[in-house]
Amino acid sequence: MASAAPSVPPSLTLPPSQFARLQPHAYLLAHLSPPASSNQPSIRANGRATSQFRVTSANTGSLTHTNGSAVVRVGDTTAVCGVRAEILPTDDIASWSVSHSSSSMNKRRKLTNPAQKPTQEEEDPEDETHIQQLNLLVPNLSLSTGCAPGFIPGAPPSALAQSLSHQILNLLHSTRLVRAEDLRIWYQPPSLGQEDLERHNESEQMDVDAERGEEVGKDKEIKAFWVLYIDIMIISLAGNPFDAAWAAVLAALRDTKLPRAWWDVDNEMVVCSDAVSESRKLSLRGLPVASSFCVFEADAAAGWRAVIIPDAEEEREIEESARKGIQRRWILADPDGYEEGLTQERVCIVVDKEEGTGKTVIVKMEKNGGWAVDGKELKALVDISAQRWGEVKHILEQC
Amino acid sequence: MTDRRRINGPPSGTRPAVFASSLKSASSISTARPRRQRQPDELRKIFLKTGLIPSASGSAYLEFEPSASLAAARSSPQSLIPPSSALKLACTVHGPKPLPRSASFSPNIVLTTHVKYAPFAARQRKGHIRDASERDLGVHLETALRGVIVAERWPKSGLDITITILEAEDDRWWGDAPDSHDAPWGMMNVLAGCITAASAAIADARIDCLDLVAGGVAAIVSDETPDGEPSTPKLMLDTDPAEHKSILSACVVAYMPSRDEITELWLKGDHSKSSLGTTDQNLSHESLIDGAVNAARGAHTVLAEAVKESAERFAGLPTGGSTV
Repeated sequence: MASAAPSVPPSLTLPPSQFARLQPHAYLLAHLSPPASSNQPSIRANGRATSQFRVTSANTGSLTHTNGSAVVRVGDTTAVCGVRAEILPTDDIASWSVSHSSSSMNKRRKLTNPAQKPTQEEEDPEDETHIQQLNLLVPNLSLSTGCAPGFIPGAPPSALAQSLSHQILNLLHSTRLVRAEDLRIWYQPPSLGQEDLERHNESEQMDVDAERGEEVGKDKEIKAFWVLYIDIMIISLAGNPFDAAWAAVLAALRDTKLPRAWWDVDNEMVVCSDAVSESRKLSLRGLPVASSFCVFEADAAAGWRAVIIPDAEEEREIEESARKGIQRRWILADPDGYEEGLTQERVCIVVDKEEGTGKTVIVKMEKNGGWAVDGKELKALVDISAQRWGEVKHILEQC
Repeated sequence: MTDRRRINGPPSGTRPAVFASSLKSASSISTARPRRQRQPDELRKIFLKTGLIPSASGSAYLEFEPSASLAAARSSPQSLIPPSSALKLACTVHGPKPLPRSASFSPNIVLTTHVKYAPFAARQRKGHIRDASERDLGVHLETALRGVIVAERWPKSGLDITITILEAEDDRWWGDAPDSHDAPWGMMNVLAGCITAASAAIADARIDCLDLVAGGVAAIVSDETPDGEPSTPKLMLDTDPAEHKSILSACVVAYMPSRDEITELWLKGDHSKSSLGTTDQNLSHESLIDGAVNAARGAHTVLAEAVKESAERFAGLPTGGSTV
């Protein structure tokens, strides 16, 4: 296979762009392993070094009808994300009264230590349960925008769109990016006798234990939740949609402003204030940044053969060739559409850095489609991702 | 019915936020209605750029200039309720490409148009599945474009035109009661934008056309005088529905200037003499259509510039685009 590269120049009578279409694998291979005589550096067909990401830009807050919005361009891949907040009254949640009374234990414990309460820095055990159980974050990614020829507009979401939506949802849940406290709309009942009476009746109906009634007067209650509809439109797709989509989600959530909302007793509904000065931004936990990689193998057959773990002999062979300085596989950062079509193995690493110490934290690591990347290489990829984290942070802070 | 291929929100559904200011009496907010700062025949500026989506054979992005009230609200935000909105849409063209094997023979190019609002495009959240108004827009767009493309040059081929609306025009001012304007007037502006953007994208895809078709909107509106009395109806070009108390009728055309031909005409509303209360010749059917044509002429100048830019980029490719 390595002989494919030197044989290229004499036979090349086509312009490079056509050769790239006819023989994509050989074309990329020839770029990555140029003949030693040509003295050219190993470089990808798109002119990037193997660990180089595409130029990224971001812009936030340009869409009028959203609470927060962002446009992120990673090379030619463009993702537009809009966050819309809507209200979910607790009266509408079928299981609310049950789950609420069971979680009142936690709340009571918190109330016993009032000094801790205003800081909200403590780990709230209810956080994920509320966001996850009540589906307060609703990300949906759409590829049927004409972003690439393969996706038919109007058809139900493709497998790729579905898996990307779920990846984003899982990442939102596992990073606990959005605080549940930001999404709660509280109501502090005034301590009136009448109110107490009403509440007492309510607790009787629900058959809750008697001790709950004692504290009821000073207990704040959740009247509604904000539900964040996070819609991502991939306007242009040229490889690596996940990084762009996640960056857009992150930028849009950073931009999101929720109006001040309160329970209006007279109207029995949640009412918001439209004053910008009273609205507040979401306080996100950290800044997880996704970096994707793919592995390009010199063996053209690697694309379609079943993934087989190499036996000892093959392993030795690979090691030997590596000693001789013949590189058989390349890990390409931020693959474009052309490279994605030629590779099987994918790695996606989401990292964050702790605020005080600057230590890199791996939030998510996903690898599939092959066996080329091992522990040593993953470690190097985490370092690259950490570097990328700095770049993305800089871009997001500027917009 | 839940959609199992998408992530659904809470099963009980959610409610859009209700702002306290909109609950107050109507008199206190009517002062806040955005006012048209432009002359009756002055159009909004249009931003139109081609070739933003490299994987498509042709693409265009169109944006209307925000109205004065929206621009003011953006620069110094006071209220979370936007006074009006400005159209933003992206259009892609895929093709000409072979029809699927199962399709029957067609001597002409088969045009498919698809218009979809993003869920966050309008004041009310839109669903993921196309609704009637979106399908309607798609049909209108198809008629507008079918008269322009030289269809017999590509037998047995298909052409897909997809438009994603990132931000739509308002149908009425948010402070008005939902039924005070009967028709979705914003749709007409959206259609005019779709026609202009699709025309640019088709030219960007190097598909032979008779001419560049441009969309334009004109409307007969009756505004409120400062005393709250309805004023005499007036003809205005490129109306922003949020800026007017009531739109009596509106017209959108797809117009080819060099052939002086209209490929699509959509007229809506009632402007009979009895409803206008005047026999002014300037408010007739013809003048309304002429107004829309004039608006289209204005859009055509922008369109021609954008297509020229696209052609220059295309011509520049062989010399400057060598990547190896």
